[in-house]
Amino acid sequence: MLKHLFKLTWNKKKQNFLIVLEVFISFIVLFAVFSLLIYQQQNHNKPMGFNYENVWAVNIFPEDRSRNWGLSDSVNNYHESIKQAAHAFSEVQEASFCNFNTPFSMGQANAPIKYNTKEIFSNFYITDDHYANALDMKLLAGRWYDRRDNGMSETPVVINKMASENLFGMADPIGKVLTSGMDSVRKLKVIGIVDDFKDKGDFVTPENGVFMRMTEGEESGSGTLLLKMKNGSDANVESRLQKILSGAAKNATVRIDHLTELRKTKNKTVLIPTIILLVVCAFLIINVGLGLFGVLWHNINKRKSEIGLRRAVGATKNGVSFQLIGEALAMATLAMVAGSFFAIQFPLLHVFDMPAGIYIAAIAAAIGFIYILVLICALYPGKQAAKLYPAMVLHED
Amino acid sequence: MIKNYFKIAVAVLLRRKFFTFISLFGISFTLAILMVLTAFKDSLLSANYPETRRDHCLYINRVVQQNSKHGFTMNSEPSYSYLERYVSILKTPAKIAISSLARPVNIYMNDKKLDLHIKYANAEFWDVMEFTFLEGKPFTKQEISNSENVAVISEDAKNQYFGHEASVVGKYIEANNIQYHVVGVVKNVSNTKMYSYSDIFVPYTTAMSNYRNKSYQGDYTAVLDAGTKSDVNAMENEYQQIVRRIPTEDPKNFDRLYSHADRYTESFTRAIFGNNNDTGIRYMYIAIAIFIVLFMLLPTINLVNINISRIMERSSEIGVRKAYGASSATLVLQFIFENLILTVMGGIIGVLIAVIILSVINHSDLLPNANLAMNLPVLWYSLLLCIAFGLFSGVVPAWRMSRLHVINALKSSSS
Repeated sequence: MLKHLFKLTWNKKKQNFLIVLEVFISFIVLFAVFSLLIYQQQNHNKPMGFNYENVWAVNIFPEDRSRNWGLSDSVNNYHESIKQAAHAFSEVQEASFCNFNTPFSMGQANAPIKYNTKEIFSNFYITDDHYANALDMKLLAGRWYDRRDNGMSETPVVINKMASENLFGMADPIGKVLTSGMDSVRKLKVIGIVDDFKDKGDFVTPENGVFMRMTEGEESGSGTLLLKMKNGSDANVESRLQKILSGAAKNATVRIDHLTELRKTKNKTVLIPTIILLVVCAFLIINVGLGLFGVLWHNINKRKSEIGLRRAVGATKNGVSFQLIGEALAMATLAMVAGSFFAIQFPLLHVFDMPAGIYIAAIAAAIGFIYILVLICALYPGKQAAKLYPAMVLHED
Repeated sequence: MIKNYFKIAVAVLLRRKFFTFISLFGISFTLAILMVLTAFKDSLLSANYPETRRDHCLYINRVVQQNSKHGFTMNSEPSYSYLERYVSILKTPAKIAISSLARPVNIYMNDKKLDLHIKYANAEFWDVMEFTFLEGKPFTKQEISNSENVAVISEDAKNQYFGHEASVVGKYIEANNIQYHVVGVVKNVSNTKMYSYSDIFVPYTTAMSNYRNKSYQGDYTAVLDAGTKSDVNAMENEYQQIVRRIPTEDPKNFDRLYSHADRYTESFTRAIFGNNNDTGIRYMYIAIAIFIVLFMLLPTINLVNINISRIMERSSEIGVRKAYGASSATLVLQFIFENLILTVMGGIIGVLIAVIILSVINHSDLLPNANLAMNLPVLWYSLLLCIAFGLFSGVVPAWRMSRLHVINALKSSSS
């Protein structure tokens, strides 16, 4: 039966060439779209790794960095005085100074990091001791840096799970000493591991991360203050806070952003292109569906006498119906065999840095989708054909 | 003759309404989507309010300092002091507008934070950009050198801050804890226009983020207005001459400095597709061409498919025409003509759909103040697309049809 179906399709390869081509292209488009969707969905399902609710990011743009931050001592004093001003508010639960690359910000700082001969590329977060608390980050092993690390010759760092696996495999990283690609003199001692965290948005895959203690006088761009606020702190609190902090920060512009809002903006940069892609894709699929429907219908009209003959020699109504639907599916199968051949190259050749499972799932989803589409398009013409009376159609010839 | 073709075409289209619907659906939606995209492109890239002088202008939006040995770079918009030192000395430009990017600003009102942006600008900004003033006037050179706290605000900012008062010139608006004296109100600008968009415009001398800061990196941009179109190239060359002589900020760590005065589109494509030596505009055009071809491929194949099916239905007509002496060329021409009628009809419907989509987008918050419009160039592109579409999808079926043998065509007519 199956062999017969494929043989029929193969015999009409010239007539069916364009439909097969159409299904083939649709398959490739669907494969690409499904890969993207599954990739984003998988990222979305991973835990955030930190808490952004009620956290505000205070950006401080000093008038003249070189003047205010020339001496390490004055940087620390400057930070301390701003923090004190913030803590004067009962709504502020935790305050932490860190580098400009706060969660969901557009900023990014990365550099190579090295253990013995193994080198990976990682995000660098320069933070003070309160960062993990402000963001409710989960420690998996070891501890976060604190006052005990004062005066140590090695800079204490906390790395995330992914960086630990990439650098050390299964071995315990705590106590190991790393060097950074930026500054080979400085020694970084691992004292803790935290969970991976998706600070670049819900749909972006977590990356390697190294959290480094802000040493005395760390200057470049360390001007963001994260504030963990009490539930229900409103714009009234925000405007008072903004005034007070502007005063404490002397000649600086102070801007307050909410991490919840920043997250929405950051997610939009992923969601909007995806939505546009989906709209375009949906339109293409409707187009293909209608086209398939039209062509199948037309083919049946052309084959009336053949169908009549089949009925006359004993094919049942359902048999005819199945035959036509089967032919359409066989045609789609031919197209998808060719399509899968190209699609399977992606996991085999490691095009783009995505796990192979995503591609396989995308191929399966695209195959399923096209079968359903073809089935829907063939159902009605198949039924029409089954209604033909052999006597009538054979008479016409 | 053409009248005859037209009559036949209409008769054929009406005979099989379902097929006609499928064809028209495919054509009209494909064209509508392409037209909407063209309108987007048009609103982003062609010279419209307030940047009407784009073809007289060059744009500087980047300074890159590179360590060529280790490959790391410092890369951002230039600072005010960089532009003052190395750009304002250029001799070819007639006017040089210098302004900061639109930065979010702290404006609180009745315990609500307003979502507004502030731009720090010089006086020539108002000459290079042709803003429409609803009331008042721009701030002057004198006010800038006195560091006076004066502001020009957009209609949007006016409505949000002052409600619907008739006149606000002379009133005060508090931004970043500074009381600014409002001197003018301008028509809104779309936030897709990086060089001119903002809600509040104030003199650069009132910026707290220091304009005297000596670093090259900052968040200012410069628009160089050559005055005449013919001087634009000279201006580009003059800036390159100067850039070649600028030392890096920190010669120990950085040995190369790149900055370019680009045309409007190129000032963006350089960052996305290009690099320090290439504007990347070719890559953008190639990417767009590939997208359009891929996008039109499926609907075209669809149309070809349907056309082939339909034309075979008319084999008896073709047989008769051939038997009476019509040449293959005549038949091919007739069929392509019929197909063009179909695509042009689809095009007209497509224009209507595009107009509806554009008005929906204009009335939504998706792109505030963008005012996407179907204008003449867009219509011309669409007509061209229609014809291309008609030819592509008509040629293969017509060719197949013309090869039909008279006898076969007449014989199969009964079925």
